[in-house]
Amino acid sequence: MSLSILPLLAQQGHPLTGTWTGDWGTTPTQRTAITLVMNWDGKNVGGIINPGPDSTPIASVFVDYATWTVRIEADAKDASGKAVHISAEGKLDDLGSYHRTLKGTWQQGTARGDFRLTRD
Amino acid sequence: MRPGAFASITILLALPAFAERPFAATYDAARHVTLKGAVTRIDWANPRAFLFMDVRDASGLITNWAVDFGNPLELERSGWKRSSLKIGDLVTVEAVPAIGDHRVAFANSVMLVGGRKLFVVQGKARATAVAQPVPRWPDGQVRLGPPPGKKGYWATTSSQLVDSAGGPISMDGDGLLANISDAARVAPFLPWAKAVYEYRQRTRLKDDPLARCVPPGGPRQFQTPNGFQFVEQRDLGRILILLGGGDRNWRVIYTDGRPQGEPDEVVRSYYGNSVGRWEKDTLVADSIGFNEHFWFAKGGLPHTEALHLVERFTRSDFGTLKYEVTVNDPRTYTRPWKALWTMDWVPDQEIQEYFCEENAESTFVR
Repeated sequence: MSLSILPLLAQQGHPLTGTWTGDWGTTPTQRTAITLVMNWDGKNVGGIINPGPDSTPIASVFVDYATWTVRIEADAKDASGKAVHISAEGKLDDLGSYHRTLKGTWQQGTARGDFRLTRD
Repeated sequence: MRPGAFASITILLALPAFAERPFAATYDAARHVTLKGAVTRIDWANPRAFLFMDVRDASGLITNWAVDFGNPLELERSGWKRSSLKIGDLVTVEAVPAIGDHRVAFANSVMLVGGRKLFVVQGKARATAVAQPVPRWPDGQVRLGPPPGKKGYWATTSSQLVDSAGGPISMDGDGLLANISDAARVAPFLPWAKAVYEYRQRTRLKDDPLARCVPPGGPRQFQTPNGFQFVEQRDLGRILILLGGGDRNWRVIYTDGRPQGEPDEVVRSYYGNSVGRWEKDTLVADSIGFNEHFWFAKGGLPHTEALHLVERFTRSDFGTLKYEVTVNDPRTYTRPWKALWTMDWVPDQEIQEYFCEENAESTFVR
């Protein structure tokens, strides 16, 4: 048996700050890769989804610090350029770990599924 | 065995210098174990000295236990020697076992069986400085180090970094609160920071980066064992702080009159970018540019890259250094807050070699 070894450079500031990677989907096999980059500025958590030329700014992040429940809202565009709203709500786990996780439900337009993100 | 034929070596548990893993994150103080058996190995290394012993349980099964009996430098100061125990010695250990089912324990006492004399090693207090004037440079400036031709260093004595406006708060040597409801008085937290601090407290500091030998930036550098010393390089316009604990790092305070860097441009680091100036007999160090990879105080106080520290070092007499730090991190705390403590001069001694890494983790892989 052994104690778990954490990476040396774990980020110890606001738990949401950093780059999160994972996927969302409506079934266990139909998944779409997502990357979220979030940052705490002292008043709000902001950031972007899928950084790059097609990135989507995060409109709002609400965190319930009593339960570490996180709700993320954003307005993206689909392949045809049509506006589509994203609403995700998840729970932050392994708060003290570098590879903490954020898991929950993900709604994008009319599609509803689940998501799982791990902090890189 | 004749009555009284024990040699007893009692290890003081009062203030174990738990470099670098918090005691509460490792051991279950609510339990107790008595171990009897032969010493099979002695690991006299930093940060923890361990003896390993074969212990036979009630069923006759022999298992090997690792017994943590303190920091070697602290033990040597208390009269222990590497040769105080030998492989093959039969010992009885009264100990606090590790959390879970690890065969690891922290010794309250170790008794040698079969010895001819009974002795108890008392904790030996550090030598204290004889009252004398504060040493000064020829131009009258206070020296933060020893007088010319002398040795010495500053002992790190505090376990608490708390808002001085919050009043007395009970916590142990690792910074664990006696009562979690006191959290709000420790510092003027923003809601996220209070939640993180409480999480770290409730999980008994198990994620403390210092336990992984991450450098102790900020005031934490003055909360690690084995002291520190100033090296004033006046010709170079800088003061080095050499740390005896943590990773045996050093920190630089520039006193050449340079301005503080721009917060957005400074390369983030564990000890930040420090510029210093003298206000009469007080060295004032202004530091920004901290990364977020460490806990800047015992007990798990969080911070962000916005952390700005102003430290005031005042050698109020030969043997006393007053330390006052103002913490300003508007992304973590609702207002700037101040903490202070004093540090004691250890005369005529030098910081000894100490490295965090030697057995910080390996002994727990059992």
